[in-house]
Amino acid sequence: MSDFLDILGSTALYATAVRLALPILFCALGEVYAERAGLVNVGLEGMMLCGAFAGVIGSHYSGSPWIGALIGMIAAIGVAAIQAGVSINLAGDQIVVGIALNLAVLGITSFLARAIWEGGDVPKVDGFSDFAMPLLSDIPVLGPILFKQGALLYVALVVAVASWWILTRTSWGLRLRSCGEDPRAADSLGISVFAYRWKSMIICGALAGLGGVFLSLGQLFTFSDNMSGGRGYIALAVVIIARWSPLRALWAALIFGVCEALALRVQVTDINVPAELMLALPYAVTLIVYAGVIGKSRPPKALGREYSRG
Amino acid sequence: MRRALTGHGDTVALVVRTLLALIGAAIVGSIFLAIDGVDVGYAMQEILDQAFGSPFAIKNSLIEAVPITMVAFGVTVAFRAGIFNLGGEGQIYAGALASVLVILGLSGIPGPILIVLGLLAGMVGGGIWGGIAGALRARLGLSEIITTIMLNFIAFWIVSYLVRGPIQDPDGAGYPYTKEIPARADLPVIGDSIPLGAILLVVAAILVWILLERTRIGISIKSLGSGEATGRFAGLRVERTGFAVLLIAGVFGGLAGAASLMGNEGRLSDFFSPGWGFIGVMTALIGRGTAIGTLVAGLLIGFLSNGITGAQSAAGIPTSTAQILIGVFVLFLIVINTDIVAGALRRAASSLKGVRG
Repeated sequence: MSDFLDILGSTALYATAVRLALPILFCALGEVYAERAGLVNVGLEGMMLCGAFAGVIGSHYSGSPWIGALIGMIAAIGVAAIQAGVSINLAGDQIVVGIALNLAVLGITSFLARAIWEGGDVPKVDGFSDFAMPLLSDIPVLGPILFKQGALLYVALVVAVASWWILTRTSWGLRLRSCGEDPRAADSLGISVFAYRWKSMIICGALAGLGGVFLSLGQLFTFSDNMSGGRGYIALAVVIIARWSPLRALWAALIFGVCEALALRVQVTDINVPAELMLALPYAVTLIVYAGVIGKSRPPKALGREYSRG
Repeated sequence: MRRALTGHGDTVALVVRTLLALIGAAIVGSIFLAIDGVDVGYAMQEILDQAFGSPFAIKNSLIEAVPITMVAFGVTVAFRAGIFNLGGEGQIYAGALASVLVILGLSGIPGPILIVLGLLAGMVGGGIWGGIAGALRARLGLSEIITTIMLNFIAFWIVSYLVRGPIQDPDGAGYPYTKEIPARADLPVIGDSIPLGAILLVVAAILVWILLERTRIGISIKSLGSGEATGRFAGLRVERTGFAVLLIAGVFGGLAGAASLMGNEGRLSDFFSPGWGFIGVMTALIGRGTAIGTLVAGLLIGFLSNGITGAQSAAGIPTSTAQILIGVFVLFLIVINTDIVAGALRRAASSLKGVRG
């Protein structure tokens, strides 16, 4: 038990937690845009997986993780465009489209990994390495947790704050949210619901792709089949727990980072808790936290509903 | 019912659109295979051969179809209530776990009784797992889309823990699986090619049809599907129906797990299901929310998957081809059945008739 408390009190745990929370955070931030505009994007998982795969391809052939990140984002935007086209323009069921896309992307990424590399043995590629921020990384506790991470951490923090500002403090954000609350009223005020929903989905795809990129280029430096492993779905829960706020998504994502980090840490100690049960922890905690916050949150009114003019 | 499942026009039009989507998916799949340097014509021949070519091939295809179709029935029932059961995977693991515990725990019981008990245990296990999502939805208002997926992972890791610990096969050289169930608990194969599981599918299809079309709960399910507010207004107990739906869905998922354990796998492992839960969702979508449609779709997917798995070594087709085909098939199906595309197709068809006539 005291071992367990040692782990809970260790800086290393939280440094790992932040790292593991990032992919989920990126996805959740993207999903906030989509859901605020009225779109439930279950395809998040597929966009993330696609970003992870394309990021590795980009980094492998260019030698630069930044180009990899760009390619990953573009590929995920491609998936988002399909989701947007079918669910917005054709008014197809948003959730069903997302599920089908996830399966197709799962198949396509593992197919291509095998087509490009014999046996699907994806090599290690150049990724985002950690660097210590001068001075800041020397701060006790916070230094190792926040200032010895890769550059994408700072990107995530900037995106979170900027998203909060854009969605709540700009007229663009207000119009986007109006499409998620009352699209017909928005339309009658001359706001193009289709255009705003499309923009929100493109942003969502880009951020989910970046989340996937972080998974492959920020953590493992390679790609493996289904490496998103359900994190896209956890991000859907994070958005609800964060009550559709980009800032609250920061700590909501961190909860899952801590759970996952705990599962990993416990495995390398001699604490007598089965690793498999610890690996169930993030999902169980998601359920519990979700049950705890429900009722306090109110989703956008038109969330999940197709919109057609006329 | 979800808008995704409402179709335009009659059954013929629906079948034609489904076939068009299938052809579209086959074309996309062929392009992928061609890029990979596979001889597409030979590959298709090989897939068909491995799926239908012999009584043995047919038996294997049917065995593949059993868990997929069974779990899809649960998804179908839920769809009719406007509820997404994405928890098939967890229900399969919960059902197979309950089933293997009962079968290995009971010794000295005659085969037929053991088989019945094994299947029942699976239904109970899956029912509990689906029921948890149902209770969370009914009591707390949690979206089943999130809860069922979280429950999938939880079930998987619990099974993973058990088959590496308490119920691991002591003679299994450390592999993460249980002891094999005794041969008398295996589902028999009738003749050369009809596994008992396939008969169970037909029985299940009839039961689903009766449930939806001839029972009170069926009426409740469908009225919930046509709109929660309307249902509530008409005196429908929305929460209770929602709970019942996920419970029933779980029973089918659990049965899928038990039938696969007893019909093919023989033991529970943590690589037991290759994603049947989500394939089941696709199958239910292809089946358009009807019992017979789901049965036909499940058989189609079963034969396709087994054909591709079988052709893997001979024609050099990766198994991920099946995921691509099914995912793209359903995407095309969604697109072709939207008001806009289906309407355009109908107008095009009638103008063609006009030209001829």
